[in-house]
Amino acid sequence: MPSDYHSADRNVLPGACHSSIRFQVAAMLGLLIGGPALAGDADKARGIVAEVCSACHGMDGNSVIPNFPKLAGRHPEYLVRELKEFVSGTRKSAVMTPIAAKLDPDDFKALGEYFGAQKPTSGQVLDQKAAASGMKLYQDGDEERGVPSCAGCHSSDGAGSKRFPRLAGQHREYLIEQMYNFRNDVRNYGAARLMREVAKRLSEDEIKAVAEYLTGL
Amino acid sequence: MSIHGIDRGKIVKRISNALLVLSLWPLVLLAQDRALVGTGNGGQLWNELKGEKLQALGLKGDVARGEEAFKICQGCHRRGATGSVSGAYPRLAGQHATVLIEQIADIRSGNRQNPKMEPFAEEHVLTTQEIADIAVYLQALPIPPNLGKGPGTALDRGSELYAKDCATCHGNKGEGNAEKFFPMVAGQHFKYLLREAHFIRDGNRGNANPDMVKVIKAYGNEDIEAVADYISRLAPP
Repeated sequence: MPSDYHSADRNVLPGACHSSIRFQVAAMLGLLIGGPALAGDADKARGIVAEVCSACHGMDGNSVIPNFPKLAGRHPEYLVRELKEFVSGTRKSAVMTPIAAKLDPDDFKALGEYFGAQKPTSGQVLDQKAAASGMKLYQDGDEERGVPSCAGCHSSDGAGSKRFPRLAGQHREYLIEQMYNFRNDVRNYGAARLMREVAKRLSEDEIKAVAEYLTGL
Repeated sequence: MSIHGIDRGKIVKRISNALLVLSLWPLVLLAQDRALVGTGNGGQLWNELKGEKLQALGLKGDVARGEEAFKICQGCHRRGATGSVSGAYPRLAGQHATVLIEQIADIRSGNRQNPKMEPFAEEHVLTTQEIADIAVYLQALPIPPNLGKGPGTALDRGSELYAKDCATCHGNKGEGNAEKFFPMVAGQHFKYLLREAHFIRDGNRGNANPDMVKVIKAYGNEDIEAVADYISRLAPP
């Protein structure tokens, strides 16, 4: 995309100026069409959430069942990616694969925006000592063993981004399960493969500690 | 009308891409020339410019994309690529893009032995384009002050060794040489320099330049410490 932009901007050939304007108009139209979901989409998404998602993930995306992840505040693009991965089978989940397959992919974006707009809640820390050592690992990693700081990708406050999921406030049980999914090659596609390495370099207690810290964020 | 407009846009893009590749070609040829100088460990050519390395060197890096892609690296190399005073991770800020591409590609291919980093540089994690993007992003970063230095007890010896053995390639001020893939060493963390110098001397780096291996073979541990200390104090340009 940026390279298109630069080449349209270079004006090397006669007439390129006009094509640059056309390009900009086309880009603006593209934004209007593919931009934030319209009000109708938001209503539709709310309907789908009520009917399909809320039983497990909660109407506001703050699931109260530990093995179902909270989705509130998750970046819309990340959620869309996850849904696509469930459908394609690159991400395996006996629960989510059939559910995602029944959804209309055209609704993914609106669903992502719906959950992204919900206010995420924090969980309660039960083991302060574990949370303290988890915080150190999360923020600093372990140089000696080549454990990266989690904050490098997931950000210091655990909010994540479009490429990396939000972890703050997530259920400890879900976080621990996913770390074992990485370690045991269940989630082993694309960039997630780097998480396999991280999970392998952590002990069971360390995985629990980081999860404990994140639950309280 | 609009169809013609799009076609022209494509032509402009193709021409500018072709010009870009052509403009980079002398650099590639120069580097190839250099790469054929000698063989490194295990009979491998030092910095043989082929495959992905060559491909990444020919790609136009994008600083903004590089910043995003670097997030995967900053868990270790830290925000702003400051590295770590402990020497576990080098400072990358301000390093020559060519050097960065060379090293990432070598770690990925296993040519440089770095089991700690290799899983984070594999192709599922990082595309070839992202290697080029990260390289230009890092090259443009400001070089942070307060880096790890040595004990400062043998700086005269370090200075003497540097002038005699290192400056020809790494530059009088430790600035390195982008075209020849010689890294900037000025202001690098002392303990990182120490570790890598030992690796290079003892044959544990994998992609060491054979010319450097010849020189450093004669160094005792104290010589390495003295010169690493001196280098860590060179002010980056």
